[in-house]
Amino acid sequence: MKNKKKGHNIKDITRGDAVLIEVPVVVLLYSLFRKDMNQSSYLKAVARGLLGLPVGAVVHALGAIVLGAPVGTQYFLRTLNWSLLMSTFTFVPAASVYGSSWVDWHRIFAQTKPIGSIDYMICLPAHGAVIGGWFGAWPMPLDWERTWQEWPICVTYGAIIGYLVGMLASFCSAVFRVSSQHVKGD
Amino acid sequence: MAVTEWWKNTSCGGRRSAFMVFFLVLLLHCIAILLFTSGFLLTRTELPHHSQCSDVSQSPCGLPDRSPQGDHDGVTCWTKPAVDRLVIIVLDALRFDFVAPSTFFEEKKPWMDKLQVLHKFASESESAARIFKAIADPPTTSLQRLKGLTTGGLPTFIDIGNSFGAPAIVEDNLIHQLVQNGKRVVMMGDDTWTQLFPHHFNKSYPYPSFNVKDLDTVDNGCISHLIPTLYDDDWDVLIAHFLGVDHAGHIFGVDSVQMIEKLQQYNEQLEKVVEVLQSQAGRGSLHENTLLLVMGDHGQTINGDHGGGSAEEVDTSIFAMSLRKPSITVPPEFDASSCKLDLDGREVCISSIEQLDFAATVSALLGIPFPYGSIGRVNPMLYALVAGTWNLEDYDMSSSQSQLKLEEWMHNYAKVLCINSWQVKKYIDVYTASSVIGFSVDDLKHVADMYAQAVNWSDSLHDVASCKDEACRTSFDALKKQIDLYSNFLASVAELARTKFTEFNLRMMGIGFGILLISIFIHVLVIKRVDDITVFPSRETSSVSFGLIVSCTIVTARACSFLSNSYILEEGKMTNFLLASIGMLGLRHSIMTKKMIFEATAFVFLISILRFTIELGLSKPQEVLDFHSWMYVADLMPIVPLIILACLLYKSIACSSFLQFFEEVEISKWGEMAVMKAVAILSVWSSTLMILSGKQGPWIALASVVGGWLISRLKGLEQDNKNATTGLLALYSSPVTQWSLLASCLFFCSGHWCAFDGLRYAAAFVGFDEFTIIPQAILLTIETYGFSHILPTLGLPILVAYKYSSNEAKQTRQSLIQLFQVYLIYGLIMAVTTTFTVLCVIIQKRHLMVWGLFAPKFVFDVVGLILTDALICVSSVFYFIQT
Repeated sequence: MKNKKKGHNIKDITRGDAVLIEVPVVVLLYSLFRKDMNQSSYLKAVARGLLGLPVGAVVHALGAIVLGAPVGTQYFLRTLNWSLLMSTFTFVPAASVYGSSWVDWHRIFAQTKPIGSIDYMICLPAHGAVIGGWFGAWPMPLDWERTWQEWPICVTYGAIIGYLVGMLASFCSAVFRVSSQHVKGD
Repeated sequence: MAVTEWWKNTSCGGRRSAFMVFFLVLLLHCIAILLFTSGFLLTRTELPHHSQCSDVSQSPCGLPDRSPQGDHDGVTCWTKPAVDRLVIIVLDALRFDFVAPSTFFEEKKPWMDKLQVLHKFASESESAARIFKAIADPPTTSLQRLKGLTTGGLPTFIDIGNSFGAPAIVEDNLIHQLVQNGKRVVMMGDDTWTQLFPHHFNKSYPYPSFNVKDLDTVDNGCISHLIPTLYDDDWDVLIAHFLGVDHAGHIFGVDSVQMIEKLQQYNEQLEKVVEVLQSQAGRGSLHENTLLLVMGDHGQTINGDHGGGSAEEVDTSIFAMSLRKPSITVPPEFDASSCKLDLDGREVCISSIEQLDFAATVSALLGIPFPYGSIGRVNPMLYALVAGTWNLEDYDMSSSQSQLKLEEWMHNYAKVLCINSWQVKKYIDVYTASSVIGFSVDDLKHVADMYAQAVNWSDSLHDVASCKDEACRTSFDALKKQIDLYSNFLASVAELARTKFTEFNLRMMGIGFGILLISIFIHVLVIKRVDDITVFPSRETSSVSFGLIVSCTIVTARACSFLSNSYILEEGKMTNFLLASIGMLGLRHSIMTKKMIFEATAFVFLISILRFTIELGLSKPQEVLDFHSWMYVADLMPIVPLIILACLLYKSIACSSFLQFFEEVEISKWGEMAVMKAVAILSVWSSTLMILSGKQGPWIALASVVGGWLISRLKGLEQDNKNATTGLLALYSSPVTQWSLLASCLFFCSGHWCAFDGLRYAAAFVGFDEFTIIPQAILLTIETYGFSHILPTLGLPILVAYKYSSNEAKQTRQSLIQLFQVYLIYGLIMAVTTTFTVLCVIIQKRHLMVWGLFAPKFVFDVVGLILTDALICVSSVFYFIQT
């Protein structure tokens, strides 16, 4: 019973339904918090986010291939879906919010020095997704012969879990910061 | 200051003490591994001797009877031949419950009772047929079992002998004895036989056995030749080896339709075989005195696996059927069989036999010398089954005579056992005298006493029974006692050999592992100390860096992964994954500091190339190029990296430094010298290596040079960033980890894997046509470990020499300490991974794949560790001396 349910989920993830739902949500939400609020319109931020999607997908796909993701025509679609999903976790929010501001990108992804709440909301889930995906790859070589061990299912699960943990952490940090500011204000 | 002090205090002794540290580590590792190996790897020395017909005159048993009746042609060798022809049908991976009736088991399973024909003949009272439960000794793989069956010994993980490179059995064996004594052998089926015995068969119809998915090729080939051959008279021994059951098990498991179909097919075929044999079994016919043996070489688990020592894998079966009628029933003292009714209400009796006894029993039946290394005992039931064991024409079938006949048989059997015991005793003595690890003195004395007792009894018996008259026949009890004495002796020898050859010595393994842990502890202590010395107390330093944490994690992750068989199988990909992870972190780091982005990208790119090479290497056997033009290109391509390498070498010599070729860097006098030394020794080694490893050699060499250069460049990234305030450990841990990961990636890139079929035997014959063990073992070692252990260890100083902080006064000393530290870290990484392999072997010693996977991995790692330690010692002498 449990397996069946899982199998269903797997199909969803590999088919890319998750991406279809996730992308608009992420783009529309994060575009609200675009950094250069004065200079660029909401629509422009949305467009940036959508542009960031394929770019991020290419970066993630390349990274995965270097790390050993299988290559071949039969894997092409799966890798594509996975990298799109990863891109929505990492690149798309950043692209919506920061646009082409290299300094901000550098600060968030290379140095990991988030400042404001929105920085945390981008930085932590993105790192969480990548680290989660990395750990998610570990069960793949095991000889349990489960369907979910195939590329990229368990990596996707890992990434999703990492993303959610990152989200939670960033949310907590935001709440903490707000409350501490309140204390300060008082 | 502290550094100078320390180094000065020990002055030139500092260098010596560095060497001493490495030497101590090497020594500890050697001791640990020696102890562990003696407990774990079961080794046995193959003896080159062969039994001869004439040897028997040395035995205390007297010459064999010259067949007083003269119905044999009088040419007896060791024992009186009991059968003239032998048909051996081997059904690979024949489980015991395939053969035995289902009533012998608690539950009837779908695959039982399929070989009905065997039940039928075993239950018929007028036919001399019997089912035996045959117990194999692990490792239960076909090759090892065939070896065990034919040599009568216990094949172990390592048979030290000259069968290096080819699996052919050099040791004395049944097939050799058959050929030696003029028997003509025909073989059909599994081509493992022709590999093991390349020149022994008169006729052979081998079929490839490696394609596990193919259930029928081998079997159909066997079937098409088996029946026609039975009508021929140009052979004495026929071997037909069917593989279908083994393959069906591997692919579909035991509980599958395919398996049942296979068994039904065998049932039909066996029925036909018996029909043909019986049709020719009349007096003077072709098969008048033929013995049919249907046997498995090992069992299998429900999943179709085999190799280990579980009851399912070890229990197989032998069905023996003599075409002559037996005349007596063996006394119950020798008959340890159990009888039950099968589903059709027939009474089927099952006896038991050790596979160890097979060679001796068959030799005794055919009247040929026992294989020299056989430690088996002639099985009484199988021996008694065959009619020719005693002369049934001599006696009437009256009951008064049957007692006499029984005694005649026992007399005969006692004589065979006497020869058997003498041969085993001789083997044990010679083995102890000539092998690397013999038997202990106490054990030998115990066995010798038993033998002496048996022989003394036999002498006293012989005096009484020397006359041939009716009056002085020996009593039943005396004979029985005689047989018991011999049997006890043989049983205790077999038990001794088993403990010696197949049981682990846990205490030795524990001690070895403990010493390994101690050596790691010492390693860590020394590293810590050196680290403390070099850190300047005045400045604020952090001895722990991000790089250190990452490298510790990576090394631990890699080491822990060896605890699982799946990760060992995928080790190449796994190592590459870790290297890529660390490379990507480096890329991120370089983006962060906005420096050396090109190098970091190039490194990641190199890793991805390595990744594809590893995958290509794993699928190598199928690689066939169709186009001629491509062949030429493939032949010519390796010249390109060769030219590049030559250019690099020329430039590095001409510019007086390998590193200055790429850009102008400040390099101290020592650094320059070290680099020169390194370049010199590397170019010497790599040319040898490239010759040995063939076409791919130049590519791998180029990859290792580029990889090494990139790692040393990227080290600068960390160094500049930290401004030399961190300890050496923090500074070097990450580059050294990358270095070692790259090294083991290169091992897999060059098409190796941790199994003995991954060795490139062709490399051993570069420059040699003839087989001589020592030079070829050296060549093979160089080829196997060249790119992964020899080059990286010797090239490590490049990592240090490249651009270190310039503090004029201490430069040389400090760089020496750095080099010392780097070698320590490198050694530690190797030691930790090997320790985990050892731990894994301890945990998994009863695992199914212990002989197939863990033990080869263990051997590869251990040899690699010792080699690295030795090379570090050599390098410490080589690089630390100042000229």
